[in-house]
Amino acid sequence: MRLRLWRKKRSKSWKRLNYNNMTSAIEIRDISKLYSKSEEYSLKNVSLKINRGDKIGIFGPNGAGKTTLISILCGIIEQSKGEIEYLKEGRITDLNSMLFKIGFVPQDLSLYSELSPKQNLMYFGSLYSIPKKKLQIKIDELLSVLGLTKVANKKIHTFSGGMKRRVNLAIGIINEPEILFLDEPTVGVDVQSKNAIMSYLDALNKKGTTIIYTSHHMNEGQKFCNRFVLLDKGNLIVDDSMESLLSEHNEESLESLFLKLTGIEYRD
Amino acid sequence: MGKFGASIKKEFLLLIHDKVGLLLMYLMPILLVFIITIVQDSTFKLVNENNIEILVVNKDNGINGDSLVSLLNNSGSFSIVEKKNLSESEIQRILIEDDLLIAIEIPSDFSNNLNTKAEQISNTMLEEFGLIDDFETKELVMDELKLYYDPVLQENFKFSILSSLYSYMNVLENRLMIESLYNEMGYDTIPEGLKSSFTDNRLGIKQIVAGSSSGKIIPNATQHNVPAWSIFAMFFMVISLGGNIVKERLSGSFVRLQTIPSSFSLVLVSKMFLYLFVALSQLTIIFVLGKYIFPIMGLPSLAFPSNLIGLLVVSITSALAAISFAMLVGTYAKTQEQASGFGAITIIILAAIGGIWVPTFVMPEYLQLIGKISPLHWCLEGFYTLFLKNGDWYLLSPALLFLILFIFACQILIYIKLKLQNYI
Repeated sequence: MRLRLWRKKRSKSWKRLNYNNMTSAIEIRDISKLYSKSEEYSLKNVSLKINRGDKIGIFGPNGAGKTTLISILCGIIEQSKGEIEYLKEGRITDLNSMLFKIGFVPQDLSLYSELSPKQNLMYFGSLYSIPKKKLQIKIDELLSVLGLTKVANKKIHTFSGGMKRRVNLAIGIINEPEILFLDEPTVGVDVQSKNAIMSYLDALNKKGTTIIYTSHHMNEGQKFCNRFVLLDKGNLIVDDSMESLLSEHNEESLESLFLKLTGIEYRD
Repeated sequence: MGKFGASIKKEFLLLIHDKVGLLLMYLMPILLVFIITIVQDSTFKLVNENNIEILVVNKDNGINGDSLVSLLNNSGSFSIVEKKNLSESEIQRILIEDDLLIAIEIPSDFSNNLNTKAEQISNTMLEEFGLIDDFETKELVMDELKLYYDPVLQENFKFSILSSLYSYMNVLENRLMIESLYNEMGYDTIPEGLKSSFTDNRLGIKQIVAGSSSGKIIPNATQHNVPAWSIFAMFFMVISLGGNIVKERLSGSFVRLQTIPSSFSLVLVSKMFLYLFVALSQLTIIFVLGKYIFPIMGLPSLAFPSNLIGLLVVSITSALAAISFAMLVGTYAKTQEQASGFGAITIIILAAIGGIWVPTFVMPEYLQLIGKISPLHWCLEGFYTLFLKNGDWYLLSPALLFLILFIFACQILIYIKLKLQNYI
């Protein structure tokens, strides 16, 4: 019932955003994903146009397809159907050429915990072929902004969860990406670290970085994102600006809107 | 720093943080090669260099018991501890309680019986030659020599002592028989020269080592153990490298690498490159120890083969086989514990059937056949061809061929798994 109600409104949202007048960062057309051992599609004909400078929050209950969508966009897995174009106007359309311009902050701490933040950043930065001097400057800058200078040479496995998350973020943005994907970047971190991470992301966005972000933290998402994308059971059911969506549904918080749209039943 | 340099540096940093892996790859094989070589060399010396202490309880009333003790004493193979009038239980107690491992009890009628036996044989011979008539053969009831041994004594060791004992008994019996013949023929004594010829003039046996340049390399405990345990050390990198791959995979680092403009093969090649260096450094350390430290410790020095390029090729091929195996385990294992547990047990089994611990020729035929699937067997074949046979390229080719096939098979399986997991 709710779903049907929303679908009628979705067309309005597309019109309201007037995407055609914006510079596109990524254009997704009818992508679907069927995993090899699964009978049901994890993503079903999802179309989305992400504009440069967007701060998109992709939300949804467990199994909605958020991580699948981000994994496809980052090139970790391939879609079963559909097309994706990156920075079309900049003439980069294939993913391989795009990898220099994207950053990815995965949900799992994808780093070498036996090494120090500096050693991790030096390694991942070198894979982007960043010149050594420039890389050193960038590393020092990131460590300073994310409050890691004092522990720059300490082994990460001695760090708190929040510090590890900040290193995870630093690695994802070492190449100064134009498009940054974040898969639950603040899971299990303290308020201070969360604040540092979200502030830095906001600053990056202001400098022009397009941010695509997934989270289960609705308050955080509501404060941070300017655009709300909701996935449920592989379907894209909402794509609208945060403000208009809340006012349209007469809801004050994203969390209550989320429950209204996806229901209160458990999702496993 | 380029991508490759950065990858190598990262692998190196990860390796030096893996203290357990380093100990297993460097310290364990060095200890093993020292301990096993010392043990084998001592056994060799014990058997061949007059170090076996034998308790002799000579109860003989005549002189033949003393003659046998004298033969054993002069043989250079035994150190005799003589004790008189010990009972069977006392002898057994000494063997159990003291350091002695073996005892011989010479019965009281030993001389009498040997003399009677010698007389009978000489009389039979003289009768056959028609020199005497109507010789009456008596049935001999002889007390046996008794050999007591500590239960810890290994079978092959016991048989080696028994064969020496039989050999000296033969010498004694032959001498008594000739003496008896001389006596029967009316001579009081036999010529001194003839007496000594029983012990001194035995036909010698020249030992020749089979190989391309025979005699140059003498097989010994060092030549056997240094290559064998070096191979074991190389393959034990499965704990470090296999675990490293699983850890990287599970931590999500492999996933992150997919979003970075860098080839995944670069990661694998840099791992192979660093661990090739590790394996070659393991070999170098163990070979240098064998060459320069073993002689200081009284062990035989390691003699290098003349085909040094062959040694380099066999070393690199063996190292790549060990690396490929470790990467295969790391790629397929689901957890780090699984990689180290499965890897270690598999290496121990492959080492056992491959002839690292005991030579394959002593194994049953079916096990020898199974052993041929072990890459460690072919690594050992390659090294033994060089270190024991001083072999040429033709002799090395079967081992090299198998190892190259093994490396390819492992790499293909790794590729398939990574492809299925979407990493490549």
